[in-house]
Amino acid sequence: MIRRYFALASGLLALTLVVCAVAVAAAPTQLTFTVWSYSNDVVQDNIQKFQARNPGITVALSDFDWGKFTDVMTARFVGKTSTDVSYSSDHWLQQWAAANWIVPLDDYFPQVAAYKPDFAPYAIEGMTYNGKLYGLPYYADTEIFIYNEDLLKRAGFSTPPVTWDDVTKMAVAMKQKKIVEYPLMFQFQDITPDYIEIFLSMVYSHKNPSMFDKTLTPTYDSESSAAHKVARWLVDGFRTTKIINPASLETTEIPLVKAMGAGQVAFAVLPKYNLADLNTPGAHAQAGKFKMALMPGETHGTVGYVRFYAMTKMAADRGKEVRDASWKFLDYFGGKTGGEFTVVKRWALEKGLGFAQLPLYKDPQVRAAINKWGNVTLEEQQAKLARAKEALTPFWGSWSLEFQKEMNKALLGQETPLQALQASAAKWKEMKK
Amino acid sequence: MSWKARETRYAYATVLPVVVLVALFTVYPVGYAVSTSLREVVLYRPASTPFVGFKNYLDIVRGDFFATAWGHTLTFTLFAVALATILGFGVAHLLRVRSRIASFLNAAVLLPWAIPTVISGILWAWIFNSTYGAFNGALYSLGLISSYIPWLSRPTSALFCVLFAHIWKELPLTSILYVAALQAIPDELYDAARADGAGVLATLRRITIPLVLPTTLIVVIYESMVAIVTFDLLYVMTGGGPAGATSLISYYIYNRMFTSYNFGQGAALAVILALSLIVFILVYLRVLSSEDVYRE
Repeated sequence: MIRRYFALASGLLALTLVVCAVAVAAAPTQLTFTVWSYSNDVVQDNIQKFQARNPGITVALSDFDWGKFTDVMTARFVGKTSTDVSYSSDHWLQQWAAANWIVPLDDYFPQVAAYKPDFAPYAIEGMTYNGKLYGLPYYADTEIFIYNEDLLKRAGFSTPPVTWDDVTKMAVAMKQKKIVEYPLMFQFQDITPDYIEIFLSMVYSHKNPSMFDKTLTPTYDSESSAAHKVARWLVDGFRTTKIINPASLETTEIPLVKAMGAGQVAFAVLPKYNLADLNTPGAHAQAGKFKMALMPGETHGTVGYVRFYAMTKMAADRGKEVRDASWKFLDYFGGKTGGEFTVVKRWALEKGLGFAQLPLYKDPQVRAAINKWGNVTLEEQQAKLARAKEALTPFWGSWSLEFQKEMNKALLGQETPLQALQASAAKWKEMKK
Repeated sequence: MSWKARETRYAYATVLPVVVLVALFTVYPVGYAVSTSLREVVLYRPASTPFVGFKNYLDIVRGDFFATAWGHTLTFTLFAVALATILGFGVAHLLRVRSRIASFLNAAVLLPWAIPTVISGILWAWIFNSTYGAFNGALYSLGLISSYIPWLSRPTSALFCVLFAHIWKELPLTSILYVAALQAIPDELYDAARADGAGVLATLRRITIPLVLPTTLIVVIYESMVAIVTFDLLYVMTGGGPAGATSLISYYIYNRMFTSYNFGQGAALAVILALSLIVFILVYLRVLSSEDVYRE
């Protein structure tokens, strides 16, 4: 009797184990995908389409504020909170890669090399650390100069500014004619990641714009540097001519775009995709009145940046199945599906996001979409003048925050522009040790 | 085994689970933080975490931001504790007045406390926003300002905006604590004082304030701790700016750890902050629980 019970119990146990094993084998591979909040409905829809094409994979989405994204991700990585694929940016690549939080794609997926010829050089540079590629582009774009054509005409100007002196002249005219109290506004909150890119765009529009020498020693803290010219121009705009809205110091991207859309701002330096939003009918009171001009300055240079999809070390360590699922995910979102950059093209068509995948510039649909809200020829011209941020090191992200804080001291009149640059250069040297 | 020994063993056995839990969630993290503070732990150099002794502490104390952050923190704490205590005491008096809407007011006053800090930070950032904020709108409508003021873009006003939001959040708790303390004072004492000819101020000074001192002690200690470690409100409202003007010491810890990736220095700063809090509490205990204070 006992033997029979034992046999029955053993049989049941074996059956349970088999059922569990089958269930585990049949369970879909789950990926956790972290993003900064932007058009989450589109992201979710893309995920659903990806899941439909890959029934064995499910994706859980977590989104966080853009301004705090790197902080949140740091906490996730340090706390080992499950994260498999994530948005990242050239701002943080060096830190994340050096900390061993994300892995080089070439090491796991040699097929990624086939995409490289399609990507803009500045985007490849922004996704490369120690000679290895760490991502596939989500979008790549430039910082551009946007102006409200209507306000400019009311001030008596028929063409956009070509130099920063032109900007001052036009802004002063607008102020005097009481068209707008502060014609310029920036997103200069201490911690916004866009701040440094906007400042560098203005620097790159000057001759000899380098901030560092070949040994990565700061050169921008000298009186004759392009950075000093920009810093002085900004301080003049804040404190002397008062053409720059003092609220810039608390402003981030969305409030600035809203203020511009409401007609409170005539000029701004913004990531290019904002032009699509600003000119979307019904989205803003002044929609349709916004145009881009080449970045004012001697060379019209600007910053080209890349935001990309990366695979985490946690995903790599979870085994081949998760790695394969991650590659399928990265390939679908940043690569080609059916011979086309489907997801990247969708972002370009629907939201006006720029792209690193250069073949898309030849796509008639994309060209037509850009011309609806902008100017594809001018955009291409600006893209050719774009350059990646220089001296990207593991401490670049930390330094940029110190730089922003010091610059804001200058804008508040607590330091001279040169003192602010020197203080941030000293921080760089300290971090470089 | 004697009865006494068995009782001792039983006592230890019953206390052990709690001791283990406390050790796990308190002693271990504190020990780990102290250990981290004595090593060079920079996240983007994960392979090397050498022992550096008190170097992190020295670097932190010598850093130009340390004194500034403490200055901001003490200013913030001074105002936060004083206002939360005095206003809480005042609101408690109002809440004690018997009226038809007393119970409604008692519940309503708790609302800000029930709202998550991050949400209240976002609300106050909108209210103080310089282009569309309700605060500017109200002042402008009343004719008190001729153009919108960038409250969060000016160092001093930004700190006071965060302080205002902090008080709004903390006031309900202090009020309710004082309501409980006031309700515990026997009415006979006030009757006797009135019979002796004591006025309102004398009653307040001789009866109410001394008898709510234990509550004041709790309020002051708790509010000091909360103010010193305030982080979420300022992170949401100002991001520590402009130009670091609202970067309190807690923000500095966060900055060292999560933006500079320097966990060694961050841990050193956290240890300094913890020790400072202990000193604060000891001073308060000594001053406010002194028998002289009660006797007076």
